[in-house]
Amino acid sequence: MRYLIGIGNYSQADDGIGLRIVEHIAHNGLDRGFEAIDLADEGISLLFYLNDETEKILLVDAVDLGLPPGEYRLFRPEDVQSTKDMRRLTTHESDILEVLKFAKSLGYRLPPITILGIQPGDLSPGMELSTTLQERFSTYLRVALEEVGKDG
Amino acid sequence: MTQNLSINVHHLTRVEGHGNIVVDVKNGKIEKMQWQVPEAPRFFEAMVRGRHYTEVARVTSRICGICSIGHTLASVKATENALGIRISPQTFKLRTLIKHAENFDSHVLHIYFLVAPDLFNVPSVFPLVPTHTEVVVRALRMKRLGHEWGSLLGGRTTHPNRVIPGGFAEYPTEAELRNLKQRLINLQPDIDATVQTVLSVADKLPSFERPTEYMALSSDKEYSLYDGVIQTVMPDGKKQRWPVADYKSCTNEYVVPQSTAKYTKNKMGSYMAGALARFNNNYDQLHPEAKELAGALKFKPLCFNPYMNSVAQLVEVVHSVKDSIRLIDELLAAGYKPEELAQPTKYGQGQGAVEVPRGILFHDYGYDKDFMCTGGNCIIPTNQNHANIQLDLEALVPKLLAANKDEKAIELGLEMLVRAYDPCISCSTHYLKVEFKR
Repeated sequence: MRYLIGIGNYSQADDGIGLRIVEHIAHNGLDRGFEAIDLADEGISLLFYLNDETEKILLVDAVDLGLPPGEYRLFRPEDVQSTKDMRRLTTHESDILEVLKFAKSLGYRLPPITILGIQPGDLSPGMELSTTLQERFSTYLRVALEEVGKDG
Repeated sequence: MTQNLSINVHHLTRVEGHGNIVVDVKNGKIEKMQWQVPEAPRFFEAMVRGRHYTEVARVTSRICGICSIGHTLASVKATENALGIRISPQTFKLRTLIKHAENFDSHVLHIYFLVAPDLFNVPSVFPLVPTHTEVVVRALRMKRLGHEWGSLLGGRTTHPNRVIPGGFAEYPTEAELRNLKQRLINLQPDIDATVQTVLSVADKLPSFERPTEYMALSSDKEYSLYDGVIQTVMPDGKKQRWPVADYKSCTNEYVVPQSTAKYTKNKMGSYMAGALARFNNNYDQLHPEAKELAGALKFKPLCFNPYMNSVAQLVEVVHSVKDSIRLIDELLAAGYKPEELAQPTKYGQGQGAVEVPRGILFHDYGYDKDFMCTGGNCIIPTNQNHANIQLDLEALVPKLLAANKDEKAIELGLEMLVRAYDPCISCSTHYLKVEFKR
């Protein structure tokens, strides 16, 4: 099984980009050949998709990459290190890299994981994406679908 | 007695969201003792205005990623109440079943990941991996069941999209329900082991008591989680009930300078909501095996120790598992099948309340003749607990000072107290911040 997993907070503007991608895919029936999962704030639940049957995982999340708002990068967890000040294993504000570290410490076999990280422009309370991310939404969607559909 | 103390816990860890504890003691006199909640308002009430009744729950389910099932249920209940939509007995049972899933899932997370580190004297769950591997693996096994149980009923893991006004958009199959029942039965060894784990560290829970008023939904039919009327029990054991429509006169929201979140009170200076409040109000209706566990822990109502909220959650974990097995049996025995959605029969104002993991949750909406929402109100349980946390801290600090506890021990005692309430202050941003390795 392949999974496209959105993580974030829908009510904190651009932090909800991953969830909106999942919502769009589910609403329009684009989840063919993979499952689209909305994990919201529950980063810890990522563990439950790290199974032997899992072929690959694409995580879509807002990521501070130090780039201009709206820019994006596809990368592997092992390519980066977290620089977030507060790395804690709780459910809100959890750091998915910490969850993966936790999984490794428990002996989980990690399937190939790719992160589509999108640089947020606005993280203030609000149910709308910033204009910058709204305008590029179709690009993120296309990149996500191509990536999850790609073999290997 | 400790004479001077300065505690400033900025952004308390292992709670959901942001809260600060500030204590200043000079020459034995408490000059400042505050539970501060600097959450930003999120205007959900305004976001539902102008939306069709079929859309409102989708918006309000986003209030919280942890209690999204509860917010969805409170929302559809308020909408159904406003529009005269009468749900079937099967829908009632399925919704109770998904309510159990949410409480189970959240309680397991709180007990094992947020509270247990204090009882094992470690800063987080990470150090428990090498020392208590089987406890961590068991916690994750139980958490996974909660996650999949909610997904089965709700349709999407975190934000349920099957629960809609009038019933369900899609149904789990009969085979899936049977499979869920078997998994719940098979959970017994993990429940037994959890009880043993809690018993082994139960003496680490501080023995602090402060009688207060306890508010929860209550019903003559069952241990209320999905439905009931408002009930409080006072320290002398007297109980009083109000219809959910009167929620404003029971919550009496007000503002305080130290917090951007609204506070509430009813008959006393504050009241407590959550698992302990439910236990104190509705103990008699717990499943016998949940009562048996409470007995083994010498835990009985009325309990005035807020630290025991986590133990009440464990009792509810057992109750939710056992009651869900009963519900599945009843659903299947009654000829379980997909049903047509019940439709609106009127329009106007309506309220809905459910018990989410942290306590009683109210939603209230108005609808016009086209079934468009004209406005909403929402009172979440964590906000209802802020005043009670403040008064608990004010009562606890002098006791800890008198006991000559050092600053570190006092700080831990205060942090554990706040964590016991399992506060979900507001959803924080969640983004990653990374740099690429060279």
